[in-house]
Amino acid sequence: MTNSNYKLTDKDFKQINRRSLFGFQLGWNYERMQGSGYLYTILPQLRKIYGDDTPELKKMMKTHTQFFNTSNFFNTIITGIDLAVEEKEGIKGEETVTGLKTGLMGSFAAIGDSIFAALIPAIFGAIAANMASKGNPTGILIWVIAQMAVNVFRWKQLRIAYRQGVSLVTNMQSQLSALTDAATLMGVFMVGALVATMINVKIAWAPKIGSVPLDLQNNLDMILPKLLPAVIVGAIYWLLGKKHMTSTRAIFIVLIVSVVLSALGVIAKG
Amino acid sequence: MAIAWWQIALLTLYAGYQILDELQIYSSLSAPVFAGLFAGIVMGDMKAGLIIGGSMQLTVLGVGTFGGASKIDANSGTILATAFSISTGMKPEAAVAALAVPVASLMIETDILARFTNTFFAHRIDKKVDEMDYKGIERYFLAGALPWALSRMIPVGLALTFGGGLVTKVVAVLNGSWKWLGDGLTVAGAILPAVGFAILLRYLPVKKHFPYLILGFIITTLFTVTFTDIQTLGTGLATATKAFTTSFNGLSMLAIALIGFALAAISYKQSAANNNGGGSSDGGTKAAVKQDSSADEGEITDDEL
Repeated sequence: MTNSNYKLTDKDFKQINRRSLFGFQLGWNYERMQGSGYLYTILPQLRKIYGDDTPELKKMMKTHTQFFNTSNFFNTIITGIDLAVEEKEGIKGEETVTGLKTGLMGSFAAIGDSIFAALIPAIFGAIAANMASKGNPTGILIWVIAQMAVNVFRWKQLRIAYRQGVSLVTNMQSQLSALTDAATLMGVFMVGALVATMINVKIAWAPKIGSVPLDLQNNLDMILPKLLPAVIVGAIYWLLGKKHMTSTRAIFIVLIVSVVLSALGVIAKG
Repeated sequence: MAIAWWQIALLTLYAGYQILDELQIYSSLSAPVFAGLFAGIVMGDMKAGLIIGGSMQLTVLGVGTFGGASKIDANSGTILATAFSISTGMKPEAAVAALAVPVASLMIETDILARFTNTFFAHRIDKKVDEMDYKGIERYFLAGALPWALSRMIPVGLALTFGGGLVTKVVAVLNGSWKWLGDGLTVAGAILPAVGFAILLRYLPVKKHFPYLILGFIITTLFTVTFTDIQTLGTGLATATKAFTTSFNGLSMLAIALIGFALAAISYKQSAANNNGGGSSDGGTKAAVKQDSSADEGEITDDEL
């Protein structure tokens, strides 16, 4: 018999949030990725729900060390829904919980990675890097503040998810897709802006027509300023679409090609 | 200028801290641009650190840890490149391509090693679950921090302690008979951010949002050319006549980002309005969620201002 009359308290939420923010991915490994991290964040609560040294607790501990991998910015949403189910149904909810976890981790990983691991670092990183290249560290401070706001959001989502339970997923779906859409739109806009400002190269090659050297860069500027950076990014974009191409390989190809073109006198730092 | 022992100690400690920060709270103190700032301050030349950190930040702009794949360790690369650039007098722009990138990609191997080591801890946890040893589970889980931190601290510490002589020799060659290579590396450092942008575009739905790519590029191109020309004019005038004392600033990236944010907000409002048009079965909870998420949006907006 499970001791499933336990109701989660404020203290429990705080403990889960603390463990999630400061420890969730410490045990990340190739075999089950965040599996042990998932157990670690909710272990004290599992012990309260099922009671120490019960066979139910052992079964659930095993369930929660299974393969798990999602965005570490959204993991407590899944935890909140999971605990709402377990608190109500106890061990009988095991199958529901396993289904929930495997069902949700993929979609939350996709949304979380695109917003929190790619987009926010891209936008704030670009602003910080742009200021840094002029020797100004203010942009870094702006990023730190933004990241703190994100952490407030990470702290709050657990309770919202717990209170709404399974219905949250269906309710949030349209909201999240609209938000992701808007966020990616801004990301695309910012990449355009970055291409125009942060790639400082120019064409140094000036072929002679008769005795007059032809200033190629000046001619390009008349067509469209910053055309060369746009072409470079376009070429790398195409390169990344090739088979067996990884970001590390692309970086080295660009490095070598740049050195060669510079040595031949075709391009120079702008 | 040699690197002092306390500088090595501080940089090595930071190398261990940054990976744990990145995995957990993600305060952005683990970003290459901050690694550059920190290493620059420790080494006594903040500007060089910011230039290297800023370049590396842009190079890895789109390289998130997607699905737990290892990515190049731009932070460790930045720390070493900054330390050696300042201590040996290598140009910061050249240090990005000559030191930061190669170091960053070598460090992928130690990242993989850390992730493997943690598999061992995961199996210890399984055993402790069987024994119902709750303290043991937590102990072996927290021990996972060790492989992570050490996988950065050991290579960075060793390189800082023993790498100086080698880097000094390399710098002498790059400034001397192999100047073409030194110049080439500087150019490569300037182009590398393009890789970051291209990777980012691969992850974003470019086909869907391509008009905004054009908008972002054109608006910024026009402004940046104008601002640069005015700055050049201003500098020219100031040297021509002492009476001209006004100085012009460069283009603010934050301003451009706000234009992008406004466009994103318009699109969000439109799609939210479309969703509300369709009938909702339980309006109450939906409104509650809506309020929450718009509150979060508000927080981020404030910070951008």
